[in-house]
Amino acid sequence: MTITEIVLRLHANSYYFFAIILFIIGFHTMLTHNNLIKKVIGMNIMDMAIFLFFVAIGYVRGGRSPILEPGVNHTFINPLPSALILTGIVVAVSVTAYALSLIIKLYKHYGTIDAEEIMRIRGGGSL
Amino acid sequence: MPQLDSFLPVWIVMFPMVMTVVIFYVEQRSEKMRNALAVATSVVTFLSVLALYPGVMAGKIIEFELFQILPNLAISFRVDILSFSLALLSSFIWMLVAIYSIDYMCKEHGCNRYYPVLIITLASCMGIFMAGDLFTLFVFFELMSLISYVLVVHEETIEALRAGYKYLIMTIIGGLALFFGIIITFELGGSVSLSNPVPLISEPSNLAFFAFISFLIGFGMKAGMFPLHVWLPDAHPVAPSPASALLSGIMLKTGAYGLLRVIFHVYGIEFMQATGWTVILAVVAVITILLGSAVAITQENLKRRLAYSSVGQMGYILLGISILNERALMGNIFHIFSHAFMKSTLFLAAGAIILKTGKKNIKDLGGIGRQMPFTMFAFTLAALSMIGIPPFNGFLSKWTLSLGAMDAGVPFYVLILLISSLLNGLYYLPIIISAFFGEEHGEGHQHQSIKINEAPYKMLIPIAILAISCLLFGLLPSNLPFDLSRVAAEYLLRGGF
Amino acid sequence: MNLSQHLPALIVVVPLFFAFVMPLLARWRKQWCVPVTLGAIIFSFVAAVKMAFQVMNTGPFSYYMGDWPPPWGIELGIDYLAAFAALTITGVGLLIIWYGSKDLLHELKAEVIGWYYTLYLLLIASMVGIVITNDIFNMFVFLEICAIAACGIISIKESRDCIEAAFKYLVLSVLGSGAFLLAVAMLYMVTGHLNFTFMAEALPEAMALYPNNLLVALALLIVGLGVKAALFPLHVWLPDAHSSAPSPSSAVLSALVIKVYAVAMIRLLYLVFPRELLGMAPVMEIILWMSSLAIIIGSMFAIVQDDIKKMLAYSSIAQIGYVFLGVGLMSESALVGGILHIFNHALMKSMLFLAAGAFIYGTGVRKLSELKGIGHTMPIPAIAFCIGAFSMVGIPITSGFISKWYLALGSLDVGRPFFMGVILISSLLNGFYYLPIVVNAFFGEPEKAVAKPKPLPKQMLVPLTILSFGVIFFGVFPSLILGIVYRAAQLLLGL
Repeated sequence: MTITEIVLRLHANSYYFFAIILFIIGFHTMLTHNNLIKKVIGMNIMDMAIFLFFVAIGYVRGGRSPILEPGVNHTFINPLPSALILTGIVVAVSVTAYALSLIIKLYKHYGTIDAEEIMRIRGGGSL
Repeated sequence: MPQLDSFLPVWIVMFPMVMTVVIFYVEQRSEKMRNALAVATSVVTFLSVLALYPGVMAGKIIEFELFQILPNLAISFRVDILSFSLALLSSFIWMLVAIYSIDYMCKEHGCNRYYPVLIITLASCMGIFMAGDLFTLFVFFELMSLISYVLVVHEETIEALRAGYKYLIMTIIGGLALFFGIIITFELGGSVSLSNPVPLISEPSNLAFFAFISFLIGFGMKAGMFPLHVWLPDAHPVAPSPASALLSGIMLKTGAYGLLRVIFHVYGIEFMQATGWTVILAVVAVITILLGSAVAITQENLKRRLAYSSVGQMGYILLGISILNERALMGNIFHIFSHAFMKSTLFLAAGAIILKTGKKNIKDLGGIGRQMPFTMFAFTLAALSMIGIPPFNGFLSKWTLSLGAMDAGVPFYVLILLISSLLNGLYYLPIIISAFFGEEHGEGHQHQSIKINEAPYKMLIPIAILAISCLLFGLLPSNLPFDLSRVAAEYLLRGGF
Repeated sequence: MNLSQHLPALIVVVPLFFAFVMPLLARWRKQWCVPVTLGAIIFSFVAAVKMAFQVMNTGPFSYYMGDWPPPWGIELGIDYLAAFAALTITGVGLLIIWYGSKDLLHELKAEVIGWYYTLYLLLIASMVGIVITNDIFNMFVFLEICAIAACGIISIKESRDCIEAAFKYLVLSVLGSGAFLLAVAMLYMVTGHLNFTFMAEALPEAMALYPNNLLVALALLIVGLGVKAALFPLHVWLPDAHSSAPSPSSAVLSALVIKVYAVAMIRLLYLVFPRELLGMAPVMEIILWMSSLAIIIGSMFAIVQDDIKKMLAYSSIAQIGYVFLGVGLMSESALVGGILHIFNHALMKSMLFLAAGAFIYGTGVRKLSELKGIGHTMPIPAIAFCIGAFSMVGIPITSGFISKWYLALGSLDVGRPFFMGVILISSLLNGFYYLPIVVNAFFGEPEKAVAKPKPLPKQMLVPLTILSFGVIFFGVFPSLILGIVYRAAQLLLGL
């Protein structure tokens, strides 16, 4: 495929493309950064990327918000992904809250929120 | 009464198991009751096995299925002439060992553990011999191997624990090899029942060969086959002497029994003769015979020497299995009998010596024949039988085996038998000679008058019975073990029916 | 309103409801916490038994939430595998929390014990939800609830190790859920359905048009569920998490939680994805090799451990490998073995962890080298441990032997005896690390703390005895549970 074709394709699927880039950024942050807060932020970025992907699936070009009014006949975007992602966002928020509370406890016990420091204080983790 | 007969195998296996629990409870209260119950259990078991005699000799085969675990896999029992012979032998020797144990163990600790374990090992041995399919055999085989671990480590010394650990690991390896073989048999043959009219595996293939090797490893490990015998010289000496007698006398034979069943019921004679896989068994058996006999000469510890001797003797049995003709099989089965009697006598006598004098090494045994004449006389009878001097039963089995080897056209085996008999002599005769004609060693016992300090009679009587049997079974031309061996060999060669 | 008609929903809703009620009870009526929890789980167990009978008598059935038929509503599909898994989860979960009612009192701070029951009920509800649901997004929601509850019951102990292990577990678990959700998105993209049955119908056409999409979804699913199920090499969170948690938590995590994800993967791989797709990429091969590595390496790591719970955790990694081996071999016997092993391992591992917990409760000793002679002073947990050890090695008449038998048969059926060799070698390795403990327990002289243990309350002894009895019972009479497992395997393979 020629370069122009690739660029055009990417433009047409831009939402998915950006979602994947965000996913990779979040994934990478989560795994490589040592600071625990950064890990949680990476987790959130990754989750948001997946939500973006999902919602973008439901997008219909030229569609409107899926709220029915009597007498109005429009194309609507697919309401299902949006509904699912609402659930997903709630889940991501609760997981973030839990993770942050765990970090506070970790700070209390170890005095640092650097993952490598913690491993060293523990005396080497397991494989 | 067909129905009563069918239940007898189940009874023979279940009764000792139930009695184990009873003994376990009784021994909290009274030692005498415990001892009495143990002996009584073994006597009842022996009598029950004896009750099977008329039916079995009439040619009847008792098969009984207890229940099914998985489709095509059940716990079933089968009593044919081979099972009967071995069960009779085991229960008889168990009975004598139980009587012997009363006096031997009265000074040891852990008796409360020893007696229940003794009886449950009896139950599992009965289960092995009367198994109606490979799965039941495997269940009881594992049970026996694991429970006898307790007997091996009974003394709880460091050597005992180390020997026990080696024994345990090799038992697990053997068990896994058996599992391997049984599963391949199930896959290729559709069932693992020993009552199948035709052998289960009919075509040679790579998988069938693997199964054969795994059966060899699994059963051979128990029988002390080279190179899987390494647990034997450590485990048998550290066990208390009555347990050593049982380990050497009976439990090694379960391995040989398993091999016999596999070769005749799973593969069938024609298959084995056509593929010639038994050559592997023959080669290993020859190495075992020579190795066991040769290394025994170098051993200082009496029980260790007897253990290596067991390795060598089991080699005879394995050789007999590999030769696959009537006289070889007859000699083979008869040797199972004779070796059981001989080795038990030897170990029990050794135990009596250790009990009375605490001497374990051979060089300390000078002059002991004057101190314990009956024991040493029994020891001599058994040792002469081991060497293969007529008219003892050891000679008879070696003679029959040699005839079988000649029948098969392999006179080389006769040479091996002769060499090993010579080696046997080399390691048994010095013990006897120094016992009767040697000077007593030890601190300051130079020329005192030597009192007769014999073992208690409850220990002497089993030893005497066993030793006299060695003589009788060799002397009388037609005696029970010989007849049984003959009938069993014919039966096996007929295809097991 | 006919109650029994709504059982599939109730089996999840009842524990869920009482999970939310529990904090109130903990504040005002502390002594009602345990009975209410036990009651809720007993209800679920009875419901699961009833469902199992119904499935065996009349075949798989569905339940529509709110009476909305699919594809508009959420459908709960109770087939053989679902009923079997639900039985396992509620039954073993019941025994574990019964044990925990006494053990927790000395492991956790007093004020959080009520919260533990909340988390536990949430865990049981979500696990049952995962196995019985027929809707993939519903499965995702329950997956997340399960992840939070599982991390929660580890971190509730609030010691240094626990918090760190829980955090590691949480991060990796969220990674797994994220991958799962992305896979859901990809599948939804090409089929427009979220219901398993509808997706399974639509996927073959979609596969012709978008094969790459499906392959990526498959890969993401396996990675996502594999991280949560601790399939090698994605198992790194397990040893810390399972060994530092309080004993009932370790038991439920090792025995049940990692299995649920395996069940989910089985359902997705066999019921949703078309067979040709599995042939296009060597998916089953990869699963086979990963599981073999898990089996061998898990056992090898377990041998060198000194802490009893860490050793049991590594052993779990090996055992989940067996389940995946059964999944990967794709023959009837292998699948029966794998699914049966879910049940058998749940019994065995929970019993082992509960016995270990009993040792720690009685003597405070966790190191294997210090457990000498414990068989004399604490006989019942020691005998239970002994039975569990034999079952792990695969001695006949224990249930572990039956699953190994089927797995070995399965590997022979497809003509790959190499994997039977893997199973046998791992049995030997299992013997290497379990049997020394058994020997040490019964043949040594107890010293120090081991010699005078605290007496065990009967709430701890009875579940142990029931579980050990179960291990032997299902080793001698496996046909009772095999009926449902056989039908499950046949349904999954489409026979």
